[in-house]
Amino acid sequence: MWGNTGRIISLDLNGGSIDVLSLPEEYYRKYIGGGGLAAKVFWERGNFSANPLSPEAMLIFMNGPFAGLRLSGASRGSVAGCSPLTGHWGDSSCGGYFAPELRYAGYDGIVITGRAEKPSLLLIEDDSLKLLDAGDYWGRGIEETNKSIKQKYGRNYRTLVIGPAGENLVKYALILNEGHHAFGRAGFGAVMGSKNLKAIVVNAKKRELQLADPKAYEVLRKELNAKIKQALASTVMHENGTAANLEGGVYNGDVPIRNFTSNFWEEMAEPLTGSTLTEKYLTNHGACAFCAVACKRVVKVKDGPFAIPKGPGPEYETIVAFGSLMGSMDLAAACKAGRVCNDLGLDTISAGGTIAWAMEAFEKGDLTSDNADGLALRWGDMTTVIDEILPRIAKRQGSIGNLLADGSASAAAKIGKHSIKYTVLGKGLEAPMHDPRGGGHGLALTYAISHRGACHVAYPMLFMEMGACFYPEIGFEFELEPMTDQHKPETASIAVALGSIENSACYCQFADREISIPEWVDLFNTVAGYGWDIDQMMKAGRRVFYLQRLMNHMYGLTAQDDDLSPRLLEPAIDGAPEGIEVNFPDMKDKFYKLMDLDPVRGIPFKETLLRHDMKEEADKVW
Amino acid sequence: MEYWKDANEPVKAFLELFNRALLDEELKQGLKKVNQLVWFDYTEDGPNCSFHVDSRGGQLLVAPGKPAEAPDLTMSLSADDAHRSWSNKLNPVMAITRKKIRIKGSATGLLKLAPKLKKISVIYQDVLKDMGWEDKIMK
Repeated sequence: MWGNTGRIISLDLNGGSIDVLSLPEEYYRKYIGGGGLAAKVFWERGNFSANPLSPEAMLIFMNGPFAGLRLSGASRGSVAGCSPLTGHWGDSSCGGYFAPELRYAGYDGIVITGRAEKPSLLLIEDDSLKLLDAGDYWGRGIEETNKSIKQKYGRNYRTLVIGPAGENLVKYALILNEGHHAFGRAGFGAVMGSKNLKAIVVNAKKRELQLADPKAYEVLRKELNAKIKQALASTVMHENGTAANLEGGVYNGDVPIRNFTSNFWEEMAEPLTGSTLTEKYLTNHGACAFCAVACKRVVKVKDGPFAIPKGPGPEYETIVAFGSLMGSMDLAAACKAGRVCNDLGLDTISAGGTIAWAMEAFEKGDLTSDNADGLALRWGDMTTVIDEILPRIAKRQGSIGNLLADGSASAAAKIGKHSIKYTVLGKGLEAPMHDPRGGGHGLALTYAISHRGACHVAYPMLFMEMGACFYPEIGFEFELEPMTDQHKPETASIAVALGSIENSACYCQFADREISIPEWVDLFNTVAGYGWDIDQMMKAGRRVFYLQRLMNHMYGLTAQDDDLSPRLLEPAIDGAPEGIEVNFPDMKDKFYKLMDLDPVRGIPFKETLLRHDMKEEADKVW
Repeated sequence: MEYWKDANEPVKAFLELFNRALLDEELKQGLKKVNQLVWFDYTEDGPNCSFHVDSRGGQLLVAPGKPAEAPDLTMSLSADDAHRSWSNKLNPVMAITRKKIRIKGSATGLLKLAPKLKKISVIYQDVLKDMGWEDKIMK
């Protein structure tokens, strides 16, 4: 096998047995890697009726074929399984340094089941696989745990660690690599916590890589790295991070304000934008492995109520989630909130979305100090958020901690009244910080049809609507207007294949925007030797998309679940999208027809599955 | 060129646009923050079809042609696309992706001005009107 190692670690924490599995090459060729291959492994071996926090639940880490190959943006990894937050199939991707190290050690992924009797740590050193006691780390924050592990084993040991939120089964707990690169979404930190698995640590000495055509790959790699580094988007993000265009987004109505109740707050634009972060707090640039873009921020807030020492800084999602979404324009507070979430092990998007929901519920009287342990949750009160709310959530402390620890959908169901109206969700997942009413109506469609729930990186629709993509080889030449439905179903039908390829190959969506479609094909062929043409690659992307829909079908989801909270679809009351209707039903109908999806069951028709070489899957659902 | 009779016309219009934009305090401060020597290069439509803006060190100088010093940022495009751009009828991200606009240097500062394009386009309409070029105004 070229490119991939073909080897997967299988860890059963019930008894602690560790084996190495070999997957058929056909799986890689058909489902690529990352989220796609993880779905296939779960389809074959997983238990769809298992509670995601039970020992029977399966947690899968999976690399893409390019991890460790020194290409900008291509060394990400995926985690997947049943999301405890949404109750259906979910996955999450992460940059950083874990995926390449795992590959160098000789593995494409890790499949975990069972529950350890006591807090444990999986140590991977090439062929040596050990389950060790992690009692000393349990209860500690991620920063301290990460430091302690590195002090014990060495700086080059790469870590995946959960924090108190994961240990306490907070349903949007994350997993961090190196203490700050996040598998953020869908709550897989809680799944690790439910398994008593505090950390996974890997170090490789072997570093053996087998590529189909190493010389051709090396030429391509150098060309692409140069192209990615020189691209305008890369230089902008290098200088000012992923929030570089936050200010522009404010004027487009893309940036959500006060729990998506407003699309325009001009005074907040400059204080929160990426260049302000650079000017006021940036001390260094950070990067994921081998990435020339280096969009990560290292920041220090010297003084004031939100002072923090030099360390990882917030990216766009965190700045907005703990900024305008909560009615705050205090960038220092967003920096500190991001740092606190990292240490506690909380996904900043779902944490931000859930707290913003609570603030609106408090404002409107659905939530009161009486059922919030005496706390008042007011817009912009970041001291209460950082000092009181976040720690209580992570520790499930008191009524408010427990209420918010299960996410906004669960909290709204518990307190009732009108509070369900304030949720901003797709399939139970809090929406990210791009409001599709301003960011683009196609984004509303892809939020709704994404397998894991409202997600801006499942597919590259955001980039396609803003004009950052041009792929004539696959028929994407539309000049899109974000705030209309024109060409959006057609664009989405291309986007789902592209996004599925990206998230299975574990590409970064910022870096890979500079890679043309023929170059994508060349990458697969030089690394894995698939001999693909463009059609075959796109077919693999669609196949992954279809499989992920089948996964959700197994969890009981239907076409009705491809929907969003009403708030994301009703006309905005201000800003650029003011009064504009999102024609969601028509977009969804057209998309379903274009993708051959059953309009009731939401899954691909049998003939479509057969055309995509998915006979076994088709036989199971038709 | 679709919109211009010769290469002098666009330069004349764009210089006037910038001179008037500098009378607006918000745009003036925004341009100062760019803090770069920017060359707007339309030379694909004629060797003299370009102008530059120097906002380094708090100054604001607008002049025709290529700057004597090496620019911090060069934006190369056609004079027609520049007209569309100042009229707020060209998606800059799309234009860059499709190579209609070529960028050399850091455009981070200029990106901050992107939200002001709507305001600039209103001034540009007035410029065209005052120059007797109402027929060039894009609806």
